[in-house]
Amino acid sequence: MKISRCYRSARRAQLGIYTLQRIGNRWRCPLFTLCILCSAFSGNIEAEDIAKTPQIESPNTETRNTVAQDTDAHVGDARSAPRAEMIARIDDILAEHWRQAKTPPSPPADDSEFLRRAYLDLTGSIPKVSRVRAFLADKHPRKRQALLDALLRSPAYATHMATLWRNIMLPAGMENGNIQGVLGVQNWLRRQFAANLRYDRLVSDLLVATGGDDAGPSLFYTALELKPEELAANTARIFLGLQIQCAQCHDHPFNHWKQHDFWGYAAFFAQLEQTQSSPGNTRLVDLESGAVTIPETATVVAPQFPDGQSPLEDEGGPRRTQLSLWMASRENHYLPPAAVNRAWKQLFGWALVEPVDDLGEHNPGSHPELLQELSSYFVQSGFDYQELLRTLANTKAYQLSSRYDGERPPPELFATMMIKSLSAEQLYDSVARATLTPRNIAAGMGNSPAFSPQRQEFVSQMQLRNWNPAEFQAGMPQVLMLLNGRTVNAASLPETSGLLKALEAPWLSEPQRVETLFLAAYARFPTDEERQRFVAYIAESEGAKSRRRARGDVFWALLTSAEFVLNH
Amino acid sequence: MMNDPSGAFGGVSRRQWLRRMSVGVLGASACPWLPALAAAAQPKPGKHCVLLWMPGGPAQTDTFDMKPNHANGGEFKEAATSVPGLRFSEHLPQLAQQAEHLALIRSLSTKEGDHGRGSYLMRTGRQPGGPVRFPTLGSMVSKELGDPQSRLPNYISINPGPAVNAAAFGPGYLGPRYAPATVGGGAGQNAVPAADGFAELGVDNLTLPKNVSAEQHQKRLEMWRSLQSRFLASRSSGNSRAQNTMFRRAVRMMHDDAVAAFDLSQEPDAVREAYGRGTFGQGCLMARRLIERGAPFVEVSLGTGLGWDTHLNNFPTVKTLSAQLDAGWATLMRELADRGLLESTTILWMGEFGRTPTINGNAGRDHFPAAWTCVLAGGGIAGGQVFGRTSDDGAAVEDGKVDEGNVLATFCRAAGIDPAVEIISSIGRPFPIMEGEPIANLLA
Repeated sequence: MKISRCYRSARRAQLGIYTLQRIGNRWRCPLFTLCILCSAFSGNIEAEDIAKTPQIESPNTETRNTVAQDTDAHVGDARSAPRAEMIARIDDILAEHWRQAKTPPSPPADDSEFLRRAYLDLTGSIPKVSRVRAFLADKHPRKRQALLDALLRSPAYATHMATLWRNIMLPAGMENGNIQGVLGVQNWLRRQFAANLRYDRLVSDLLVATGGDDAGPSLFYTALELKPEELAANTARIFLGLQIQCAQCHDHPFNHWKQHDFWGYAAFFAQLEQTQSSPGNTRLVDLESGAVTIPETATVVAPQFPDGQSPLEDEGGPRRTQLSLWMASRENHYLPPAAVNRAWKQLFGWALVEPVDDLGEHNPGSHPELLQELSSYFVQSGFDYQELLRTLANTKAYQLSSRYDGERPPPELFATMMIKSLSAEQLYDSVARATLTPRNIAAGMGNSPAFSPQRQEFVSQMQLRNWNPAEFQAGMPQVLMLLNGRTVNAASLPETSGLLKALEAPWLSEPQRVETLFLAAYARFPTDEERQRFVAYIAESEGAKSRRRARGDVFWALLTSAEFVLNH
Repeated sequence: MMNDPSGAFGGVSRRQWLRRMSVGVLGASACPWLPALAAAAQPKPGKHCVLLWMPGGPAQTDTFDMKPNHANGGEFKEAATSVPGLRFSEHLPQLAQQAEHLALIRSLSTKEGDHGRGSYLMRTGRQPGGPVRFPTLGSMVSKELGDPQSRLPNYISINPGPAVNAAAFGPGYLGPRYAPATVGGGAGQNAVPAADGFAELGVDNLTLPKNVSAEQHQKRLEMWRSLQSRFLASRSSGNSRAQNTMFRRAVRMMHDDAVAAFDLSQEPDAVREAYGRGTFGQGCLMARRLIERGAPFVEVSLGTGLGWDTHLNNFPTVKTLSAQLDAGWATLMRELADRGLLESTTILWMGEFGRTPTINGNAGRDHFPAAWTCVLAGGGIAGGQVFGRTSDDGAAVEDGKVDEGNVLATFCRAAGIDPAVEIISSIGRPFPIMEGEPIANLLA
């Protein structure tokens, strides 16, 4: 029998001490449905809790005072020396560019700014209030490093990475009529990122997907109708950072790609067929025959890797397997920089080479030497994508404020943190997190909240499938949906908003309520001026009912403001 | 205005610079180096466009290119119109009275016979399947004609059908800002209301939720403004300014007068009746109300699903759809003319392809892109004429063969837009609005 006290209420000395009881499958204090300190902040929805992978420890179930304590053990891991070296190198190179451009950098981000940013970039959602309070109160000098470690090991990290990559891999609108296939891709990616599979393995495994009972990533193939030219163009762009599709019809105008090279690469996808044993159960089969020809000619093109080499005679097996082996080999000089560039963009909003999927001599980017060094570092780490993100997120550059006095420097200097737009998923999940949407409402098809009907509807209406954090792309329909649509409306109604309900706890003062609304939406305390203004607004209303509604109004203003809908 | 007014071009390549410009809220309007672009971004007041989109692909042989003396002609009769010698289907009697405003292109020949691919081709003017996501016609034209400060959305799509190919209906590289504001078209919406009454149409999320009063909304906005100004004071970047601009525009649009544009209950029943009770008719009426209030681009789709996709029982279906088309379209033209707006409103009627002149075993017609018809009307169009000719059996174009590029470029030109003007895409590469030569004979 677990006998413990609700340490939060004890610590706050507001409720006295309550003994925890087992309620549902959690230990909670008996006031848990009422008490803001508990229901709001420990026992409620956590995207991280869903589809939990057993070997991954969730960072969110802790009742400890600081996250830094348990991660001290990781500070001395085998990667810490090369990581520290790389981090310093990144900051040195960037600082040198700032000096040359005579551009002073932003000041360091404060804890709130850093916390919210790291949560959004690494787990796809903002932090819940209890995490904000704990982090801001934490005095540990290495708490940021510890937080990043905890986030990178959380199930939410894997889910977020899967969502990012699914959106990169699949064409827009695939959910309609293909939900099983989309779930297959999502879940497959999620498993790879949860296990932190080597990135080169991830790509090569993807390329030999077969589908079947466990759909896995086969939709990537079937969405492109198994067309060799489509598969060639997309795999080259996504995994190699090569824009070779122009060479489909003519020799490439900007780089060395010839039409023959394109079709040589496409030939790896020429011996492929799909069979359907039952509806929704598609299997990809490698054939013994099949060839590509250059359009409007009879010229058959033999398989040829992007580096110009051909598969060796004794390399048997299906063509896709030959390609997947090359993908993960050291011969493949394209994959590491393309991966590094994407990781950089995920955190900084602006890639070292823009557009993020067009690398090569014709487009060296802003910091070619840095891209080169990071690529080698990534290879030496064993293609450890998580470690790559950990390294980047620990730099001073990532932890710069997004405030800037005077004219903002161009994004490719990285002298201030870009104010990034949110993806549709980040936005929905952040509203749900801030509102404390109960898990049973968020959960939908396949018991995966990622595919709840409400979330699905929101995401499809946002139309941000080609989401680029460097652009605020929302149009009039999207903005109207944010202002008047059901998602934000439900969040700001006392009847439907978990947070607003929790705020009704009678022992909370109005300033504490306002403070909690700010922590939930912005991950920071209100300024004195804000506290006064919003407390005064609520106090204007007469009667408990209208004050409840006034709190909803404050929350609406927070949720529709730039500070909430942007990642800064 | 560029979004990033750094002005520091030193050390920034032209490619990067162009790309950064394309990120801006208002694109390249204040760029003195590219006068063509700057001119293009100036709103052209008073020009309007209507796209009457016919999902599924209407049968030209049963509408505007009849073959009464051939077995392929089917059961419909040809009827005279107000223009001597110009004849089309007996089931379009009201349009027949508007023939002097119509220009029929009977020699359209395209290469895509699949709904998704055909839609993309006709709506973007580009081959499907390429690496670049081209914007749909309405996104591009409304960007050129629209006023970014307008209270009404610049591109409104009424009763959009199923997106057989989402890319064909999206803003492509222009981004969601140029996506249409959609009206009605929700699932379960019947094209023709069952009982007495009219099809209900409305803009999603344009009005406050029922539980929020106008007074409460004003208070919310007051708080919102204070939060915005604090954030923007230290974090004024492209994204934060764009967010601020878009949200303020949306709030402006929620004003009564803008909302009223979408409120069809303000029209007399007789007028609503004249347009037809279904979504298409009511959509055409809404189009008129929007154009009266300055909306530059309105699209109205006919039917639910791929209504014109008549592989089975072609004739009864086409007859029903023709009745809706006739009432909605003809009344729209009449009412626009009454208000002096027809001469500034360019109308394009088309689907993704035509249908086989031959009739299949199910009394239906199948997909046929090789020789089909679309219609231009109104502002900038020399009406009362036919362009091009198909063979007696309708199987081939015999004279004046044109493709999607010619049609769309003609449409742009008629609306006062130079189709050759280049827009800088999000990947930093400039593309002309439309490729293809306008058909000079059709321009007024």
